[in-house]
Amino acid sequence: MGKQAESSAGAEGLVVRVRDLHVYFFTDLGVSRALNGVSLDIPAGKVTGVVGESGCGKSVTALSIMRLVPHPGRITRGEILLYRERDKHNGHSMVEEVNLTDLDPQGPVIRSIRGAELAMIFQEPMTSLNPSYTIGDQIMEAILLHQKCTKKEAEERAVDILARAGMPNPQTVVKRYPHELSGGMRQRAMIAMALSCTPSVLFADEPTTALDVTTEAQILDLMRELQAAMGMAIVFITHNLGVVAQMCDTVAVMYLGRIVEQAPVEPLFYEPQHPYTRALLRSIPHVGSRTKARLEPIRGVVPDPYATIEGCPFHPRCDFRKPGLCDVRVPATTQVGENHTVRCFLYTEQGEDNGQG
Amino acid sequence: MDRADLMQQELLLDVKGLKKYFPVQSGLLRRTVGTVRAVDGVDLFVRKGETLGLVGESGCGKTTAGRTILRLLQPTAGEIRFNDPKLGWVNLERMSRKELAAVRPNMQIIFQDPFSSLNPRMTVERIIAEPLVINKVAKGQELKDRVADLLRVVGMRPEYMSRYPHAFSGGQRQRIGIARALALNPKLIICDEPVSALDVSIQAQVLNLLEDLQAQFDLTYIFIAHDLSVVEHISDRVAVMYVGQIVELASTDELYYTPKHPYTEALMAAVPKPDPRRRDHPIKLPGEVASPVNPPSGCYFHPRCRYAKEVCSKEAPVFREVTPLHYARCHFADELKLRGVVG
Repeated sequence: MGKQAESSAGAEGLVVRVRDLHVYFFTDLGVSRALNGVSLDIPAGKVTGVVGESGCGKSVTALSIMRLVPHPGRITRGEILLYRERDKHNGHSMVEEVNLTDLDPQGPVIRSIRGAELAMIFQEPMTSLNPSYTIGDQIMEAILLHQKCTKKEAEERAVDILARAGMPNPQTVVKRYPHELSGGMRQRAMIAMALSCTPSVLFADEPTTALDVTTEAQILDLMRELQAAMGMAIVFITHNLGVVAQMCDTVAVMYLGRIVEQAPVEPLFYEPQHPYTRALLRSIPHVGSRTKARLEPIRGVVPDPYATIEGCPFHPRCDFRKPGLCDVRVPATTQVGENHTVRCFLYTEQGEDNGQG
Repeated sequence: MDRADLMQQELLLDVKGLKKYFPVQSGLLRRTVGTVRAVDGVDLFVRKGETLGLVGESGCGKTTAGRTILRLLQPTAGEIRFNDPKLGWVNLERMSRKELAAVRPNMQIIFQDPFSSLNPRMTVERIIAEPLVINKVAKGQELKDRVADLLRVVGMRPEYMSRYPHAFSGGQRQRIGIARALALNPKLIICDEPVSALDVSIQAQVLNLLEDLQAQFDLTYIFIAHDLSVVEHISDRVAVMYVGQIVELASTDELYYTPKHPYTEALMAAVPKPDPRRRDHPIKLPGEVASPVNPPSGCYFHPRCRYAKEVCSKEAPVFREVTPLHYARCHFADELKLRGVVG
């Protein structure tokens, strides 16, 4: 599996590289094409935002990288590469490339990676914490699984990481059960658990959506702080453009199983290129703008996941669509600025015939 | 100027000292062991044709307040006066079920979750027709025509009326819920988180629809939400709730840019702004939202307030008019210089 890589990607400071990933769900109702050719670079030590509306595939992207795609979903094409730093022999750090798509999703290799190098936190902390174990037990489980230490040391580490996650009275909280904590505190416990093995990538799937705005602000602040201190990469999945603007270094905008635009955060908000990104930014009320301008909704609805849309997936709702082109071919990914790519025929003539493949 | 000066004809609703307590029961004998003060002193008035936003964090009592105002819940104390177009000013809290039936058509509600608020076994036609049938407004072909009209008004095709709710997306279901609320030509609609379950691109469609309908049918809204950007966009005035009480009430601009209550200031600082050049750090509120079962002494916000002084833990501040039509429940509302949503 492993390949000693002076490989270009590792050198570019990436931790994960996703290429042309297709994930389909084979259900009784038909095939749902959750991911339809996703290519995404996750730089080390940066916050990458993945933004889009429900059903666009943002959670499936994270789950695929973790190799946790639930049945009846399958990765049908593409590859996911993880660049992991191996033990530093005589001062040299080696970057090893692991092709996650080749691994058995239940096998020992991915299990040694999951939780240790790739960790994840979810939207609803109550459903992702086990109600019948204490907070301490659940954090210690990960530590004992991935690190060589005694139970006592693991408990000390659990208390320590809870304290770093801003948990008041961590010594008593380790003995508490999830239902005894408030929503914000549960999310802190989740974060502590995810960070207990100092992962190189943390996938945060709508981690603040269920929280109140003042609690949300505290959790976002905490995540920023821990990210800076621990230097991990965060993949921040959200539908909230406000959260993206506040948290992320680069942003990928998803629509119906594809990344339609990817850019550093400032150009994405100030010079959005894809019609969907532009429309999305115009459709939300901007707090503190003092204008009572009418919102500009995106017409139509987010399509049903079983629908097959020929050509660009956004064309039925797009104001700039070119008949005979956008409804036939899928635009290729085009570079429009520094680290700024977009998939739209406004910027390229190149396309692929019906990318459904 | 205070509320007495506002012409009574100009008002649609006037709520004073509204309280709604729920008993906390425990044990086999269901003994009452405590009280949840879900709504613990709400004073507000609503002008005809305006939108009053009601914001606060989960559990602050905003939904209970809305339902108590409609008398879907029986208030524990307080006065709810409604200016009925036919009956004139009536005190809802004193009315019997029968008397309420005459007022109810003028007060409707739109719910948050478009998936659970529509009966899955009823066609869209029956869902929208139900209030018309109950109030004996129309029947037969006239009823069908009225339902078709209502569907057109909310931007849906009348041909859809024979379908069931499951055939529609969240945004379309919310439109069906709005059509049902409009059926009886109400004066007041309480919108309880009407867009928070919807996708971003669909939110704007529903918000615009609500604005259009307000202009077209002269509607008055109480807009309950936790999303401060949406509330700023749609509201003329905004009330902020904390642990069952309204802590501040003012015009949207004043409340967002010159707040007079420290809690409002913290809320404004916490809204994630969709602008990467305006990254700001939230005001840290220590501790957690107080429990409505056992609220703190004095001002309910004092344990988390960075401006709190000794008096705050001893005396409960009164809800008072600090500047004309700008109300706040804070001992130091006159002195504090608080930050609004920008800068």
